Amino acid sequence: MRWFRFAVLLSLVAVLQAGVLAHWNIKPDLLLILLVFFAVYSNTSEAVITSFTIGFAADIIGFAMGPQIISFGLFGTLLAYLHRVIAIRRMPYQAAAIFITGLLAGALVHFLTFLKGQPTAPNLYIVLLATSLYSAIVGPFLFLPSAWWMRIKTDRFSRH
Amino acid sequence: MLFTWFMLAGFIFLFAPQNITNRFQFAFARIFRWPLSIGRSISLSARVRQPFTDVVPRREYNKLQNHLANVIEQLNLEHKKVEKLSGLRIRLPLEGARLVPADVVRVSIGGLQSRLIINRGRSDGLAEGQFVVGDNSIIGTICDLAYRQAQIKLFTDPASRIEVKIAGSNIYRLMHGDGGNSAKIPMVSAENKINVGDKVFAREKPGLLDAPMIIGKVAQCKEDDEKPLLWDITVRPACDIEGLRDVAVIIMNP
Repeated sequence: MRWFRFAVLLSLVAVLQAGVLAHWNIKPDLLLILLVFFAVYSNTSEAVITSFTIGFAADIIGFAMGPQIISFGLFGTLLAYLHRVIAIRRMPYQAAAIFITGLLAGALVHFLTFLKGQPTAPNLYIVLLATSLYSAIVGPFLFLPSAWWMRIKTDRFSRH
Repeated sequence: MLFTWFMLAGFIFLFAPQNITNRFQFAFARIFRWPLSIGRSISLSARVRQPFTDVVPRREYNKLQNHLANVIEQLNLEHKKVEKLSGLRIRLPLEGARLVPADVVRVSIGGLQSRLIINRGRSDGLAEGQFVVGDNSIIGTICDLAYRQAQIKLFTDPASRIEVKIAGSNIYRLMHGDGGNSAKIPMVSAENKINVGDKVFAREKPGLLDAPMIIGKVAQCKEDDEKPLLWDITVRPACDIEGLRDVAVIIMNP
């Protein structure tokens, strides 16, 4: 893993999500896409570190610390372990992985946010579904530039 | 093992006091201030622009309308006071107030929370609960503070509760945000006549707001699905909050 490149990519994506995409009503979650990308294309220990780091970035651009670190860390790690058993190489599978991870991670985030005493939106299910769906559609297409930047060979079939 | 340590760190962040963990968010907004503002400018410039040059821009029009609504409401308040205290000298509303101008650093509207981060903080005399004005209308209150930055909870945020009054009536209710770009006024009897477009004012609050100020307009008024005897009132902001580049914080009696 090229950690410097990872840091640059994560910063860029976090700024994009908090800056340009902040004004969109329905928007893809770029950090969720990155989470699935690293869970699929890196080895397990790297996937654990990247998942928690991406969760930390998601919390920083949000307004409550903690929920996304736990949620992204947990589901990123689970996805990395799952990838050791079931390969997620084709685009439809990657899209499905993003969609399901988005729904599960989002649900846990809202539960933890509620636990923290912060209010949650009344249109929670619509927001969750729309974000996951949008991310699932856009996500697989962003895997290629991410892989190019991270110097990861996407055609390599590896299960660590 | 790695996973366990990270999870532990996550739970520490989760249960740590908000005023400590917020420092990370303020630090991010401060470090990436320039790229964030560039991104925001790109996003705002992508919106449809007013094609005419010889008409007043919509934003300016709304701003003036808000100002007019505030002045009328202040005048009404003055009339009431004069009636009560005729002969005694009274201070004009907002006369002793200081407006602290601030630039918007970050905007997050829609989804789960509706907040702004501005580049003024405790060092500028800001305190929690103070009202924030954008384009002459109330947009929210200060909810979190750092030394040089502050977070504004917009009135559309689900956690926001602001006492409001609908123009032309004596109905005072707590308005709460709905997480989108609107808010709801609950518990208004269907016997009251409420029209779409009616102005909604934030009620005066001792030490924070001397006179009512416009906060929004009624965008929808229909029968409540669950309680047919009540109105389901939706209020939209009186200004384009997403398009705001600067705001002002009201400090009463500085």
